[in-house]
Amino acid sequence: MIEYVPSPMATVTSGVPKLLQEGSYVRFTDKWPVELNFVSGKTFLITKTNEVPYDLHYIIPTNDYTDVDFSNQGDGVNLYPTETNTLYQVALGFKPANLLADIYIPAGEYCQRLQQPSMVPTLSSNTLRYLGAFKPVDSPYFDKRMFFYFVYHLEPLIMRLYVDYGIDYDKVVLGLTINKCFLQQISPTPEQLSKAKVLHYYSELRW
Amino acid sequence: MPSIMHAMESTNVVFATQKQNAKAIPNVLVVDNYTGSGTNVITLVDRFTPSATNGTASPSETTVNRLRITVDNGSLEIIGDELKNIEILGQTEVSIATAMDSGCYVTLGWDFQ
Repeated sequence: MIEYVPSPMATVTSGVPKLLQEGSYVRFTDKWPVELNFVSGKTFLITKTNEVPYDLHYIIPTNDYTDVDFSNQGDGVNLYPTETNTLYQVALGFKPANLLADIYIPAGEYCQRLQQPSMVPTLSSNTLRYLGAFKPVDSPYFDKRMFFYFVYHLEPLIMRLYVDYGIDYDKVVLGLTINKCFLQQISPTPEQLSKAKVLHYYSELRW
Repeated sequence: MPSIMHAMESTNVVFATQKQNAKAIPNVLVVDNYTGSGTNVITLVDRFTPSATNGTASPSETTVNRLRITVDNGSLEIIGDELKNIEILGQTEVSIATAMDSGCYVTLGWDFQ
């Protein structure tokens, strides 16, 4: 449900759509929990899409951070669908800033960490603040490479936006494209299954 | 590239209100002090209210001076390339150190990033 697409080493083909299209297939692994049984282990055909652009902006002082909750709960920015037959594929890119961005899901649970217990993003550390942190060059505003997949009632995904030392304040602009995908469940043929984009649950990303 | 000219007043003159999803990048500043009443000190001011953060839950409005130049009476100053690394996060304002000089004109051009 979180995907980071590295920059290509070379572009040798015509462009491939980055976003899911009408006629695309998606398959949710069976690791998605029973609370999300409307998608867990199921395969869907996307019958319609609608791309909605959106920008979020924050002015943050040096050595400080703000947490952005992408969910629909109290302080969230409401980027989760409200219906079970909808998948939001969210592409995210940053405008240039002196920024480090860490991802947590749910709150307090690091996405980007190593196996040694102390190797977690730590903003108070001069070295570990750079562990797992995304920078604007990793997913530029006009070449978005970070993708999130949100369904109804998914646990809140938090992005911590930290302005690093070396500047008084900085403005952080998150460029978002919310690709609304309408899901129709199918019993896939082997061919459809092989074409389906596999969506892993976040617990599968931490090992 | 937007640009505008204003005569200097006793309070900060607003050149551009904040564009929320972009920084303003000044790329030309012209101070015409031919008809000014004396030497003038011009300051480029960035005014904004930071977001709520871990360190400050309810931040207040802040100003940051991004550039200051002194322009002799009867002279004209044009600054271009020197501005290219200046970023305005919030509202773009220009202040004058004297109480008011309606004979001193400032022109500012900028882009958004």
